[in-house]
Amino acid sequence: MADPMTLAARPALRASPFTRFRRWEASGALLALLALCALLAVASPYFFTAANLPIVLRNASFVGLVALGQTLVLLIGGIDLSVGAAAGLSAIVGALMLTKFGIHPYAVIPLTMGFGLLLGFANALFVAKLRLNPFIVTLASGEIFAGLNLVITQGYPVRPLGPQFKVFGQSDLFGLPFPVIAFFASAAILWWVLTRTRFGRNIYAVGGNRDAAALVGIRVWRVEFIVFGLAGMFAALAGILYASRMDAAQPSVGEGWMLSAITAAIIGGTSLRGGEGTIVGTVFGALLLTVLQNGTVLLNVSGYWQRVIIGAVVLVAVLVDLVRRR
Amino acid sequence: MTPVFEARNISKSFGPVRALSGVTVTIGAGEVHAIIGENGAGKSTLMNILCGKLKPTGGELLRHGQPVVFHSPVDSQAARIGIAPQEISLVPKLSVAENIVLGAHSGRGGLVAWRATRDRATRFLHEIDDTIDPAAKVEALSKAQQQLVQIARAVATEAEILIFDEPTATLTNRETDKLYRFIRRFRAGGGSIFYISHRLDEILDLSDRISVLQDGRSIGQLDPAATSKGEMINMMAGREVKGTHAPRPFVERSEIALQVRGLTRHGEFQDIDFALHKGEILGIAGLVGAGRTELGKCLFGVTVADAGTLEVFGQQVRIDHPADAIARGFVYLPEERKAEGIFPLLSIDENMSLPSYGRFGSALNIGFGDMVREVADYVKRIRIKIGVGADPITSLSGGNQQKVILARWLMRGMKVLILDEPTRGIDVNAKLEIQTVLRGLCDEGLSIIYISSELGEVLEVSDRILVMHEGRIKGVQRADQATQESLLQQAMS
Repeated sequence: MADPMTLAARPALRASPFTRFRRWEASGALLALLALCALLAVASPYFFTAANLPIVLRNASFVGLVALGQTLVLLIGGIDLSVGAAAGLSAIVGALMLTKFGIHPYAVIPLTMGFGLLLGFANALFVAKLRLNPFIVTLASGEIFAGLNLVITQGYPVRPLGPQFKVFGQSDLFGLPFPVIAFFASAAILWWVLTRTRFGRNIYAVGGNRDAAALVGIRVWRVEFIVFGLAGMFAALAGILYASRMDAAQPSVGEGWMLSAITAAIIGGTSLRGGEGTIVGTVFGALLLTVLQNGTVLLNVSGYWQRVIIGAVVLVAVLVDLVRRR
Repeated sequence: MTPVFEARNISKSFGPVRALSGVTVTIGAGEVHAIIGENGAGKSTLMNILCGKLKPTGGELLRHGQPVVFHSPVDSQAARIGIAPQEISLVPKLSVAENIVLGAHSGRGGLVAWRATRDRATRFLHEIDDTIDPAAKVEALSKAQQQLVQIARAVATEAEILIFDEPTATLTNRETDKLYRFIRRFRAGGGSIFYISHRLDEILDLSDRISVLQDGRSIGQLDPAATSKGEMINMMAGREVKGTHAPRPFVERSEIALQVRGLTRHGEFQDIDFALHKGEILGIAGLVGAGRTELGKCLFGVTVADAGTLEVFGQQVRIDHPADAIARGFVYLPEERKAEGIFPLLSIDENMSLPSYGRFGSALNIGFGDMVREVADYVKRIRIKIGVGADPITSLSGGNQQKVILARWLMRGMKVLILDEPTRGIDVNAKLEIQTVLRGLCDEGLSIIYISSELGEVLEVSDRILVMHEGRIKGVQRADQATQESLLQQAMS
């Protein structure tokens, strides 16, 4: 029985385990993550503690969710610069559903995800149907989403969201914070979709060769539509969970997430040219980013240095990728 | 008299493919030397060597009797040789004037002296055509005007020897006249021109000497004053057909797989009518620009026709997207294998089975095991040379990549197969194997449209041949009665 990993021009069946690991897009991120964890475990007594690890995981899950959607967009050779703003606007809209319109807390999360899906479809309308450049379209739509956010809130947070709602962001399920479960479950589903379903393989086909994809009968615009929609949906999920965690929808929710999400995907081995990348890599990338932030705090490194270090890590990741391809 | 330029004994190989073997051409001052030959005879390769774009694998170039070596087009320009290539290679967003003097702006110290630059460009442009605005952006010009700008650019290098590769392919009569006037003036001033064209009338009209290339060899010279179009065609086509396939015996077939009526796409082809019978290979022949590829893509739904109808096995169908075509059992193998055929990042397994995923497993879980086993079957059946199916497709040779793409559709199942230059860049052996597979498929009831610019190949594989010229069908010939001459005659008239 062939393992699906072998089907995506990844490790050849006969290649040694070492070669297979080296060719795997996510290998660099995994090694870096393991090395960093080992370093922190030695350098700080607080890192591997039951109090710290859930915090790391929870912080990773917000950016991680956004990065999952971003990975899909990057895989088809696009980019979505509006995800951070979409997360912020969705969080506000979700919070208003709860406070202004009295919608049941359990219904708010799926409704907010639906709203995010629509924001993504709006992007897709311009990108997939009108064939405009996704960089420009999402740069503009990101501005619009962020602006609408401020128009609605006038800069004030929407709060409180109530005890029934804040459980999503604050309480645990099976010993893990709820956002962490949402992140890992989403990642698992997407991993399955990308490696085992026709739609997932079509994403790789479109990203690898758009013209050839149309010629084998893939309706390319349909794939693009769904992918941009999903990017909006995952951003909305991250935004509303973050609001739940804070018990408030701040107008600033999602600021900085867009760049972090792209960074996580790239560290995880996703190519900006499309057609190459894995969900597992993005998960490692998101974890690596968060562990770095956590580590700088634990080791009392100035917050200013954090950005220098993250920039350096991205460059190293790209270099590792270069070596891997040889 | 020493010729001003001589290419002596030139050979050129691309890997195992020999494009030129031992070709010698010379040119004197004030001479127009026409080079003719079928598609793939090596004309463009030879011209690219003369202008330094390609390096010959053997032979030498002599300028005024002195050996010269061109490492790049910069060297050939320094030797006063300029080329107007067949493909338009202008910068669409820049002005006509800037395109003409591109890389050679007037001015000093890295600064552009705009007025001097524009004046110089305008002077050269007006030598060819004084109705084009030098300030217009190239993208705003017609194809024909762009062609003239490209010629002006070659002239602007102040070359003594000009190379024109199919200069009139996109020109209308009026513009062609302007070009002729320029060529006659240039020759009168002592300039030399290598002239490549499929239009034999204009060669008889313009040239002082004609060389004929065939399969990368120079097979003789003709005197334009003494020769005829017929003689030129015979000489271009007169090779023994190399293939080992015997021509297919002609069989009357009655069941129609595809009936095309009045198919038109403005600017590409008009009023296309033909019937494709079940089990038949219908060749489509024609020169570059005849509209063959455009027709193939339109039948497959890549582009949408402006008018006309399609009937598949008697049933009228509408095809707006390749997915519609594939659902009807229509399949197209593109001419540009690398750009439109393969998925370079995916494995051989996936490249072959992408359109067939629906058959394996369920919507939520592709049955990779069955799929890989079936791929392995096809690999054996049509003898594709691969390591393992999980290797990237780019690890294969062109011929084997083409077989994978063919197997892609064998696996999916099809009724009508449209092939566009299926053997381009493929070695003779793989070519024969692919043709053998195709014949076998036709015997099992598949219908094939075979588009090729190589007349010998079309004659070899087809049952009937459709000849196209400038977007129209000029006629249909039975392959067992047609010859390369008869096809060329029809394609050029």
